[in-house]
Amino acid sequence: MTKEELTAYVGGHFDGKLKLLDTGRYDPMFEIQPGDLLDVARALRDDSRLQFDYLCSMGGVDTGEHLEVVYSIASSKTKSRLDFKFSLPYDKAEIDSIQEVWPGINWYEREAWELYGINVRNHGNLKRFLLPDDWDQGHPMLKNWDAPDFIRMPER
Amino acid sequence: MGLVKKLPIYAESFPGGGIVATSVERILHYGQACSMWYMLFGTACCAIELMCTGASRYDFDRLGMIFRATPRQADLIITAGTITKKMAPRLRKVYDQMAEPRYVIAMGGCTIKGGPFYYDSYAVEKGVDHILPVDVYIPGCPPRPESLLEGCLTLAEKIKKQKLSDWQEK
Repeated sequence: MTKEELTAYVGGHFDGKLKLLDTGRYDPMFEIQPGDLLDVARALRDDSRLQFDYLCSMGGVDTGEHLEVVYSIASSKTKSRLDFKFSLPYDKAEIDSIQEVWPGINWYEREAWELYGINVRNHGNLKRFLLPDDWDQGHPMLKNWDAPDFIRMPER
Repeated sequence: MGLVKKLPIYAESFPGGGIVATSVERILHYGQACSMWYMLFGTACCAIELMCTGASRYDFDRLGMIFRATPRQADLIITAGTITKKMAPRLRKVYDQMAEPRYVIAMGGCTIKGGPFYYDSYAVEKGVDHILPVDVYIPGCPPRPESLLEGCLTLAEKIKKQKLSDWQEK
């Protein structure tokens, strides 16, 4: 399946839940609604033409205006790749866990929770992961994060 | 070190004992400086240079430096690489297990002042001297093997200039 066929197929099916974004990247990037996450993930995995059986990565983004969560998936059967993402407001940063679709996402969700403060519903093991064991200074990857020994790069 | 510590005190009470005390001092520190066994502790790219220095082209062995995989047999710890805040208590634990007299070489920019991670980093400890007493600093990112050898020779000179009374203070 070529990239054009893939984008046309994904954009035309799934009730229009995935909207293609023009990012100029090699892998097509789609935007979804936060509430559709579980449905979209299940559909992408179970679709007989796509068979996205592998989760490459998942991560948070702080754009300065809102949070984003980006998922990268791939298929070992059709050799195709695809990204999808959605936006979250700061005051309601909460997503569903999709471990039932791709179990490997467990650690990525813990990382996003720890570094961005994105709460993951139904995760089951949300506890300290990458930061020091006695860390109590919040979520350091947020743009407005600060700490006493944190030195910002001066403007040039 | 119990006996060695007391030796100069006893020796000096005899006539001509001062010569014995200083000779013992020189021999001991010469031996120490020529057999600095270092702890294997590499956390980032400096460790690659450390390995290169230990390999045949630069050959640490000719300085009597042999790597030890346990802190209990090591005289020296070369902090090769970035020390994160999460790693800092572990590094201190390793250092605490080393037998005295023990020495620290801070290798590379990261261990001196955070290096490239000085700005905009929440995770990196800005200077290993917050955790350990450092004897020799080797700048570089990472330092070439020649720099590391120079640092080790500097430490050897430092060890040779020690006094036995320095040990008693610790």
